[in-house]
Amino acid sequence: MTITELMTVILLVVGCFFFLAGTLGVLRFPDLFSRLHALTKADNLGLGFIAAGMALHIASPWAALKIFFIWFFTLLASSTSCYLIARFQRGQDQAGKRKEGA
Amino acid sequence: MSVLIDIILAILAVYLAIQCLLAPRLPQTMFLFFAFGLALALAWVRLGAVDVAIAEAAIAAGFLGVLMIDALRDFSHALNKRQGNPTDNQKTLSGNGTKLPWLPGVALGLGLGLFLLIALEAIWKMPDGGGLTVLAGEMLPVSGVGNPVTAVLLNYRGYDTWLEIGVILMALLAIVATGGTEVYRRPGMAARDPLLRQVILFFTPILFLFGAFLLYAGKAAPGGAFQAAVLWGAMGILLHLGGWPVFAVIPRWLRQLILALGLGAFLLMGFLFMAGGGALFEYPPAHAGVLILIVETLAAISIAAALTAIYTLFNQMNEEPDQADSTN
Repeated sequence: MTITELMTVILLVVGCFFFLAGTLGVLRFPDLFSRLHALTKADNLGLGFIAAGMALHIASPWAALKIFFIWFFTLLASSTSCYLIARFQRGQDQAGKRKEGA
Repeated sequence: MSVLIDIILAILAVYLAIQCLLAPRLPQTMFLFFAFGLALALAWVRLGAVDVAIAEAAIAAGFLGVLMIDALRDFSHALNKRQGNPTDNQKTLSGNGTKLPWLPGVALGLGLGLFLLIALEAIWKMPDGGGLTVLAGEMLPVSGVGNPVTAVLLNYRGYDTWLEIGVILMALLAIVATGGTEVYRRPGMAARDPLLRQVILFFTPILFLFGAFLLYAGKAAPGGAFQAAVLWGAMGILLHLGGWPVFAVIPRWLRQLILALGLGAFLLMGFLFMAGGGALFEYPPAHAGVLILIVETLAAISIAAALTAIYTLFNQMNEEPDQADSTN
Protein backbone atom coordinates (compact mmCIF):
# COMPACT_ATOMS: atom_id res chain seq x y z
CA MET A 1 0.00 0.00 0.00
CA THR A 2 1.52 3.29 -1.08
CA ILE A 3 1.45 6.46 1.00
CA THR A 4 -1.13 8.01 -1.40
CA GLU A 5 -3.52 5.10 -0.93
CA LEU A 6 -3.10 5.29 2.81
CA MET A 7 -3.89 9.01 2.77
CA THR A 8 -6.95 8.38 0.58
CA VAL A 9 -8.28 5.76 2.97
CA ILE A 10 -7.69 7.99 5.99
CA LEU A 11 -9.45 10.96 4.32
CA LEU A 12 -12.44 8.80 3.28
CA VAL A 13 -12.79 7.27 6.74
CA VAL A 14 -12.63 10.69 8.40
CA GLY A 15 -15.25 11.96 5.92
CA CYS A 16 -17.55 9.03 6.69
CA PHE A 17 -17.08 9.66 10.42
CA PHE A 18 -18.30 13.24 10.03
CA PHE A 19 -21.31 12.09 8.01
CA LEU A 20 -22.14 9.56 10.73
CA ALA A 21 -21.77 12.18 13.45
CA GLY A 22 -23.97 14.61 11.51
CA THR A 23 -26.67 11.97 11.01
CA LEU A 24 -26.57 11.12 14.71
CA GLY A 25 -26.91 14.81 15.51
CA VAL A 26 -29.96 15.19 13.26
CA LEU A 27 -31.58 12.19 14.90
CA ARG A 28 -30.74 13.02 18.52
CA PHE A 29 -30.48 16.81 18.95
CA PRO A 30 -33.48 18.43 20.64
CA ASP A 31 -34.40 21.49 18.51
CA LEU A 32 -34.24 22.67 14.93
CA PHE A 33 -31.26 24.99 15.28
CA SER A 34 -28.86 22.46 16.78
CA ARG A 35 -30.06 19.88 14.24
CA LEU A 36 -29.33 22.30 11.41
CA HIS A 37 -25.93 22.92 12.94
CA ALA A 38 -25.17 19.20 13.05
CA LEU A 39 -26.42 18.65 9.52
CA THR A 40 -24.65 21.46 7.69
CA LYS A 41 -21.40 21.60 9.64
CA ALA A 42 -20.80 17.87 9.75
CA ASP A 43 -21.95 17.19 6.22
CA ASN A 44 -19.88 19.95 4.69
CA LEU A 45 -16.79 18.82 6.55
CA GLY A 46 -17.51 15.17 5.73
CA LEU A 47 -18.07 15.95 2.06
CA GLY A 48 -14.90 18.03 2.07
CA PHE A 49 -12.84 15.11 3.39
CA ILE A 50 -14.42 12.65 0.96
CA ALA A 51 -13.85 15.09 -1.93
CA ALA A 52 -10.21 15.50 -0.90
CA GLY A 53 -9.83 11.72 -0.68
CA MET A 54 -11.36 11.20 -4.13
CA ALA A 55 -9.22 13.98 -5.67
CA LEU A 56 -6.13 12.30 -4.24
CA HIS A 57 -7.33 8.93 -5.56
CA ILE A 58 -8.00 10.15 -9.12
CA ALA A 59 -4.79 12.21 -9.10
CA SER A 60 -5.57 14.41 -12.12
CA PRO A 61 -5.52 18.20 -11.72
CA TRP A 62 -8.64 18.71 -13.88
CA ALA A 63 -10.66 16.13 -11.96
CA ALA A 64 -9.42 17.62 -8.69
CA LEU A 65 -10.60 21.06 -9.79
CA LYS A 66 -14.03 19.69 -10.77
CA ILE A 67 -14.34 17.87 -7.44
CA PHE A 68 -13.37 21.06 -5.63
CA PHE A 69 -16.14 22.93 -7.45
CA ILE A 70 -18.68 20.23 -6.54
CA TRP A 71 -17.74 20.69 -2.89
CA PHE A 72 -17.78 24.47 -3.15
CA PHE A 73 -21.25 24.61 -4.78
CA THR A 74 -22.66 22.16 -2.22
CA LEU A 75 -21.20 24.32 0.55
CA LEU A 76 -22.81 27.43 -0.88
CA ALA A 77 -26.21 25.81 -1.46
CA SER A 78 -26.42 24.00 1.87
CA SER A 79 -25.37 26.99 3.96
CA THR A 80 -27.90 29.18 2.14
CA SER A 81 -30.72 26.72 2.71
CA CYS A 82 -29.64 26.31 6.34
CA TYR A 83 -29.84 30.08 6.77
CA LEU A 84 -33.29 30.22 5.12
CA ILE A 85 -34.70 27.41 7.27
CA ALA A 86 -33.27 28.92 10.46
CA ARG A 87 -34.62 32.36 9.57
CA PHE A 88 -38.09 30.91 8.92
CA GLN A 89 -38.04 29.07 12.27
CA ARG A 90 -36.93 32.24 14.10
CA GLY A 91 -39.77 34.15 12.49
CA GLN A 92 -42.22 31.48 13.62
CA ASP A 93 -40.82 31.55 17.18
CA GLN A 94 -41.06 35.33 17.41
CA ALA A 95 -44.61 35.26 16.08
CA GLY A 96 -45.47 32.64 18.71
CA LYS A 97 -43.93 34.71 21.50
CA ARG A 98 -45.78 37.82 20.40
CA LYS A 99 -49.03 35.87 20.48
CA GLU A 100 -48.27 34.61 23.99
CA GLY A 101 -47.38 38.10 25.24
CA ALA A 102 -50.59 39.68 23.92
CA MET B 1 -17.06 -6.09 -3.71
CA SER B 2 -19.08 -4.49 -6.50
CA VAL B 3 -21.69 -7.24 -6.14
CA LEU B 4 -21.96 -6.30 -2.47
CA ILE B 5 -22.58 -2.64 -3.40
CA ASP B 6 -25.25 -3.71 -5.91
CA ILE B 7 -27.00 -5.91 -3.37
CA ILE B 8 -26.99 -3.15 -0.74
CA LEU B 9 -28.34 -0.70 -3.32
CA ALA B 10 -31.11 -3.10 -4.37
CA ILE B 11 -32.15 -3.73 -0.77
CA LEU B 12 -32.01 0.01 -0.02
CA ALA B 13 -34.23 0.88 -3.01
CA VAL B 14 -36.89 -1.70 -2.09
CA TYR B 15 -36.72 -0.77 1.60
CA LEU B 16 -37.15 2.94 0.83
CA ALA B 17 -40.08 2.19 -1.50
CA ILE B 18 -41.86 0.16 1.20
CA GLN B 19 -41.13 2.79 3.86
CA CYS B 20 -42.40 5.47 1.50
CA LEU B 21 -45.72 3.63 1.14
CA LEU B 22 -46.05 2.94 4.87
CA ALA B 23 -44.95 6.31 6.27
CA PRO B 24 -47.70 7.70 8.51
CA ARG B 25 -47.27 11.40 7.71
CA LEU B 26 -47.19 13.23 4.41
CA PRO B 27 -43.79 15.02 4.83
CA GLN B 28 -42.16 11.69 5.71
CA THR B 29 -43.64 10.05 2.61
CA MET B 30 -42.33 12.90 0.51
CA PHE B 31 -38.77 12.87 1.78
CA LEU B 32 -38.61 9.07 1.61
CA PHE B 33 -39.70 9.42 -2.00
CA PHE B 34 -36.75 11.78 -2.67
CA ALA B 35 -34.39 9.29 -1.02
CA PHE B 36 -35.94 6.53 -3.13
CA GLY B 37 -35.34 8.61 -6.28
CA LEU B 38 -31.68 9.13 -5.37
CA ALA B 39 -31.23 5.41 -4.66
CA LEU B 40 -32.75 4.69 -8.07
CA ALA B 41 -30.37 7.18 -9.70
CA LEU B 42 -27.41 5.40 -8.09
CA ALA B 43 -28.82 2.09 -9.31
CA TRP B 44 -29.00 3.46 -12.87
CA VAL B 45 -25.36 4.57 -12.60
CA ARG B 46 -24.41 1.05 -11.48
CA LEU B 47 -26.30 -0.36 -14.47
CA GLY B 48 -24.28 1.89 -16.78
CA ALA B 49 -27.24 4.05 -17.81
CA VAL B 50 -25.83 7.44 -16.83
CA ASP B 51 -28.33 9.29 -19.06
CA VAL B 52 -31.24 7.83 -17.11
CA ALA B 53 -29.46 8.48 -13.83
CA ILE B 54 -29.07 12.19 -14.60
CA ALA B 55 -32.70 12.42 -15.71
CA GLU B 56 -33.89 10.52 -12.62
CA ALA B 57 -31.89 12.68 -10.21
CA ALA B 58 -32.78 15.95 -11.94
CA ILE B 59 -36.48 15.31 -12.56
CA ALA B 60 -37.58 12.93 -9.81
CA ALA B 61 -35.49 14.31 -6.97
CA GLY B 62 -35.09 17.88 -8.23
CA PHE B 63 -38.05 19.19 -10.16
CA LEU B 64 -40.65 16.87 -8.63
CA GLY B 65 -39.22 17.69 -5.22
CA VAL B 66 -39.80 21.39 -5.71
CA LEU B 67 -43.38 20.75 -6.86
CA MET B 68 -44.09 18.41 -3.95
CA ILE B 69 -42.73 20.76 -1.30
CA ASP B 70 -44.85 23.50 -2.81
CA ALA B 71 -47.91 21.23 -2.76
CA LEU B 72 -47.16 20.22 0.82
CA ARG B 73 -47.08 23.85 1.90
CA ASP B 74 -50.44 24.38 0.25
CA PHE B 75 -51.79 21.25 1.89
CA SER B 76 -50.66 22.27 5.39
CA HIS B 77 -52.17 25.73 4.81
CA ALA B 78 -55.48 24.10 3.99
CA LEU B 79 -55.29 21.84 7.05
CA ASN B 80 -54.42 24.75 9.33
CA LYS B 81 -57.23 26.83 7.96
CA ARG B 82 -59.83 24.18 8.61
CA GLN B 83 -58.74 23.70 12.25
CA GLY B 84 -61.58 21.19 12.52
CA ASN B 85 -60.22 18.00 14.01
CA PRO B 86 -56.57 17.35 13.23
CA THR B 87 -56.61 13.82 14.66
CA ASP B 88 -59.39 12.84 12.26
CA ASN B 89 -57.34 14.03 9.33
CA GLN B 90 -54.35 12.05 10.53
CA LYS B 91 -56.44 8.93 10.82
CA THR B 92 -57.89 9.05 7.33
CA LEU B 93 -54.46 9.87 5.91
CA SER B 94 -52.76 6.85 7.44
CA GLY B 95 -55.73 4.61 6.70
CA ASN B 96 -56.27 3.58 10.33
CA GLY B 97 -59.79 4.94 10.55
CA THR B 98 -61.20 3.22 7.47
CA LYS B 99 -61.69 -0.47 6.82
CA LEU B 100 -59.93 -1.79 3.77
CA PRO B 101 -62.58 -2.93 1.28
CA TRP B 102 -61.81 -6.47 0.16
CA LEU B 103 -62.66 -6.20 -3.55
CA PRO B 104 -60.07 -3.53 -4.49
CA GLY B 105 -57.62 -5.39 -2.24
CA VAL B 106 -58.09 -8.64 -4.18
CA ALA B 107 -57.85 -6.78 -7.51
CA LEU B 108 -54.67 -5.04 -6.38
CA GLY B 109 -53.18 -8.32 -5.21
CA LEU B 110 -54.01 -10.05 -8.50
CA GLY B 111 -52.56 -7.16 -10.49
CA LEU B 112 -49.35 -7.16 -8.47
CA GLY B 113 -49.00 -10.93 -8.84
CA LEU B 114 -49.50 -10.68 -12.61
CA PHE B 115 -46.97 -7.87 -12.82
CA LEU B 116 -44.42 -9.91 -10.87
CA LEU B 117 -44.98 -12.91 -13.18
CA ILE B 118 -44.48 -10.75 -16.29
CA ALA B 119 -41.35 -9.19 -14.79
CA LEU B 120 -39.96 -12.63 -13.98
CA GLU B 121 -40.72 -13.84 -17.49
CA ALA B 122 -39.00 -10.76 -18.98
CA ILE B 123 -35.88 -11.45 -16.91
CA TRP B 124 -36.02 -15.16 -17.81
CA LYS B 125 -36.30 -14.52 -21.53
CA MET B 126 -33.66 -11.77 -21.67
CA PRO B 127 -32.02 -12.16 -25.08
CA ASP B 128 -28.28 -12.79 -25.26
CA GLY B 129 -26.28 -9.76 -26.30
CA GLY B 130 -28.83 -7.28 -24.97
CA GLY B 131 -31.51 -7.34 -27.70
CA LEU B 132 -31.28 -4.32 -29.97
CA THR B 133 -27.93 -3.03 -28.65
CA VAL B 134 -25.97 -4.48 -31.58
CA LEU B 135 -28.36 -3.01 -34.14
CA ALA B 136 -28.24 0.43 -32.46
CA GLY B 137 -24.45 0.31 -32.46
CA GLU B 138 -24.26 -0.69 -36.12
CA MET B 139 -26.41 2.23 -37.26
CA LEU B 140 -24.52 4.76 -35.10
CA PRO B 141 -22.28 6.09 -37.93
CA VAL B 142 -25.29 7.23 -40.00
CA SER B 143 -27.27 8.58 -37.02
CA GLY B 144 -25.15 11.74 -36.81
CA VAL B 145 -24.30 11.41 -33.09
CA GLY B 146 -21.82 9.36 -31.10
CA ASN B 147 -23.95 8.53 -28.05
CA PRO B 148 -26.26 5.52 -28.66
CA VAL B 149 -28.86 6.86 -26.19
CA THR B 150 -29.14 10.17 -28.04
CA ALA B 151 -29.26 8.28 -31.35
CA VAL B 152 -32.20 6.19 -30.11
CA LEU B 153 -34.05 9.16 -28.61
CA LEU B 154 -33.61 11.71 -31.38
CA ASN B 155 -33.13 9.59 -34.47
CA TYR B 156 -34.36 5.97 -34.35
CA ARG B 157 -37.34 6.75 -32.17
CA GLY B 158 -37.81 10.45 -32.85
CA TYR B 159 -41.59 10.00 -32.92
CA ASP B 160 -41.54 8.85 -29.27
CA THR B 161 -39.46 11.79 -28.14
CA TRP B 162 -41.64 14.20 -30.07
CA LEU B 163 -44.68 12.87 -28.20
CA GLU B 164 -42.82 13.16 -24.88
CA ILE B 165 -42.22 16.85 -25.50
CA GLY B 166 -45.94 17.06 -26.27
CA VAL B 167 -46.83 15.38 -22.96
CA ILE B 168 -45.02 18.10 -20.99
CA LEU B 169 -46.86 20.77 -22.97
CA MET B 170 -50.16 18.97 -22.30
CA ALA B 171 -49.43 18.94 -18.58
CA LEU B 172 -48.86 22.68 -18.69
CA LEU B 173 -52.10 23.18 -20.64
CA ALA B 174 -54.01 21.13 -18.06
CA ILE B 175 -52.61 23.28 -15.26
CA VAL B 176 -53.50 26.47 -17.09
CA ALA B 177 -56.99 25.08 -17.67
CA THR B 178 -57.58 24.24 -14.00
CA GLY B 179 -55.72 27.25 -12.60
CA GLY B 180 -57.44 29.54 -15.01
CA THR B 181 -55.20 32.61 -14.72
CA GLU B 182 -52.41 33.93 -16.87
CA VAL B 183 -50.74 36.25 -14.36
CA TYR B 184 -47.26 35.32 -13.16
CA ARG B 185 -47.28 36.96 -9.77
CA ARG B 186 -44.22 37.97 -7.78
CA PRO B 187 -43.50 35.61 -4.89
CA GLY B 188 -43.73 37.23 -1.49
CA MET B 189 -41.41 36.60 1.42
CA ALA B 190 -38.30 35.07 -0.09
CA ALA B 191 -37.87 37.89 -2.59
CA ARG B 192 -36.92 40.32 0.16
CA ASP B 193 -33.96 38.25 1.31
CA PRO B 194 -30.69 39.77 0.01
CA LEU B 195 -28.59 36.66 0.69
CA LEU B 196 -30.91 34.35 -1.26
CA ARG B 197 -30.98 36.79 -4.17
CA GLN B 198 -27.20 37.00 -4.29
CA VAL B 199 -26.79 33.22 -4.21
CA ILE B 200 -29.39 32.80 -6.96
CA LEU B 201 -27.61 35.43 -9.08
CA PHE B 202 -24.35 33.56 -8.51
CA PHE B 203 -25.84 30.20 -9.53
CA THR B 204 -27.78 31.41 -12.59
CA PRO B 205 -24.86 31.62 -15.08
CA ILE B 206 -23.41 28.36 -13.75
CA LEU B 207 -26.72 26.56 -14.28
CA PHE B 208 -26.99 28.01 -17.77
CA LEU B 209 -23.46 26.97 -18.67
CA PHE B 210 -23.88 23.48 -17.25
CA GLY B 211 -27.18 23.04 -19.09
CA ALA B 212 -25.58 24.11 -22.36
CA PHE B 213 -22.70 21.71 -21.71
CA LEU B 214 -25.10 18.79 -21.08
CA LEU B 215 -26.99 19.68 -24.25
CA TYR B 216 -23.87 19.66 -26.39
CA ALA B 217 -22.27 16.71 -24.60
CA GLY B 218 -25.37 14.65 -25.48
CA LYS B 219 -23.92 14.16 -28.96
CA ALA B 220 -21.13 11.92 -27.73
CA ALA B 221 -21.61 11.30 -24.00
CA PRO B 222 -24.44 11.07 -21.43
CA GLY B 223 -26.58 14.21 -21.52
CA GLY B 224 -29.11 15.71 -23.88
CA ALA B 225 -32.15 17.89 -24.27
CA PHE B 226 -34.19 16.71 -21.26
CA GLN B 227 -31.30 16.89 -18.80
CA ALA B 228 -30.29 20.34 -20.05
CA ALA B 229 -33.92 21.48 -19.92
CA VAL B 230 -34.25 20.58 -16.24
CA LEU B 231 -31.18 22.68 -15.40
CA TRP B 232 -32.48 25.62 -17.42
CA GLY B 233 -35.89 25.13 -15.84
CA ALA B 234 -34.24 25.19 -12.41
CA MET B 235 -32.69 28.49 -13.43
CA GLY B 236 -36.11 29.91 -14.25
CA ILE B 237 -37.63 28.60 -11.01
CA LEU B 238 -34.78 29.99 -8.88
CA LEU B 239 -35.06 33.39 -10.55
CA HIS B 240 -38.81 33.32 -9.90
CA LEU B 241 -38.21 32.47 -6.23
CA GLY B 242 -35.64 35.24 -5.94
CA GLY B 243 -38.19 37.81 -7.06
CA TRP B 244 -37.36 38.09 -10.75
CA PRO B 245 -40.45 36.69 -12.51
CA VAL B 246 -38.68 36.06 -15.83
CA PHE B 247 -41.84 34.70 -17.37
CA ALA B 248 -43.89 37.78 -16.57
CA VAL B 249 -41.65 40.22 -18.43
CA ILE B 250 -41.84 38.23 -21.67
CA PRO B 251 -44.86 39.26 -23.79
CA ARG B 252 -47.66 36.72 -24.02
CA TRP B 253 -47.21 35.83 -27.70
CA LEU B 254 -43.46 35.29 -27.24
CA ARG B 255 -44.17 33.08 -24.21
CA GLN B 256 -46.52 30.91 -26.20
CA LEU B 257 -44.05 30.79 -29.09
CA ILE B 258 -41.23 29.62 -26.80
CA LEU B 259 -43.46 26.95 -25.25
CA ALA B 260 -44.54 25.58 -28.64
CA LEU B 261 -41.13 25.95 -30.30
CA GLY B 262 -39.69 22.51 -29.51
CA LEU B 263 -42.79 20.56 -30.50
CA GLY B 264 -43.43 22.67 -33.59
CA ALA B 265 -39.87 22.74 -34.94
CA PHE B 266 -39.50 18.98 -34.45
CA LEU B 267 -42.73 18.27 -36.33
CA LEU B 268 -41.94 20.80 -39.06
CA MET B 269 -38.59 19.16 -39.61
CA GLY B 270 -40.27 15.76 -39.77
CA PHE B 271 -42.65 17.01 -42.48
CA LEU B 272 -39.74 18.54 -44.41
CA PHE B 273 -38.04 15.13 -44.40
CA MET B 274 -41.27 13.64 -45.76
CA ALA B 275 -41.35 16.29 -48.48
CA GLY B 276 -37.76 15.33 -49.29
CA GLY B 277 -38.84 11.76 -49.88
CA GLY B 278 -38.00 10.15 -46.53
CA ALA B 279 -40.09 8.92 -43.62
CA LEU B 280 -41.53 11.26 -40.96
CA PHE B 281 -38.46 11.59 -38.70
CA GLU B 282 -35.84 10.18 -41.07
CA TYR B 283 -32.82 12.49 -41.02
CA PRO B 284 -30.63 12.73 -44.12
CA PRO B 285 -27.42 11.08 -42.82
CA ALA B 286 -25.15 13.86 -44.15
CA HIS B 287 -26.71 16.58 -41.97
CA ALA B 288 -28.12 14.43 -39.16
CA GLY B 289 -25.70 15.69 -36.50
CA VAL B 290 -26.44 19.40 -37.03
CA LEU B 291 -30.19 18.82 -37.39
CA ILE B 292 -30.34 16.78 -34.18
CA LEU B 293 -28.45 19.50 -32.30
CA ILE B 294 -30.90 22.16 -33.57
CA VAL B 295 -33.93 20.06 -32.63
CA GLU B 296 -32.43 19.29 -29.21
CA THR B 297 -31.66 22.95 -28.50
CA LEU B 298 -35.17 24.10 -29.41
CA ALA B 299 -36.71 21.22 -27.46
CA ALA B 300 -34.58 22.04 -24.40
CA ILE B 301 -35.66 25.70 -24.51
CA SER B 302 -39.32 24.70 -24.77
CA ILE B 303 -39.16 22.09 -22.02
CA ALA B 304 -37.28 24.46 -19.70
CA ALA B 305 -39.90 27.15 -20.31
CA ALA B 306 -42.70 24.62 -19.72
CA LEU B 307 -41.15 23.42 -16.42
CA THR B 308 -40.70 27.01 -15.24
CA ALA B 309 -44.28 27.83 -16.21
CA ILE B 310 -45.63 24.72 -14.44
CA TYR B 311 -43.86 25.69 -11.23
CA THR B 312 -44.73 29.38 -11.32
CA LEU B 313 -48.38 28.59 -12.05
CA PHE B 314 -48.57 26.15 -9.13
CA ASN B 315 -46.72 28.56 -6.89
CA GLN B 316 -49.12 31.32 -7.75
CA MET B 317 -52.15 29.09 -7.21
CA ASN B 318 -50.81 28.21 -3.77
CA GLU B 319 -50.19 31.82 -2.84
CA GLU B 320 -53.86 32.71 -2.86
CA PRO B 321 -56.14 29.68 -2.92
CA ASP B 322 -59.15 31.73 -1.82
CA GLN B 323 -59.01 34.18 -4.71
CA ALA B 324 -58.53 31.36 -7.16
CA ASP B 325 -61.69 29.77 -5.78
CA SER B 326 -63.74 32.94 -6.02
CA THR B 327 -62.81 33.60 -9.64
CA ASN B 328 -63.85 30.12 -10.78
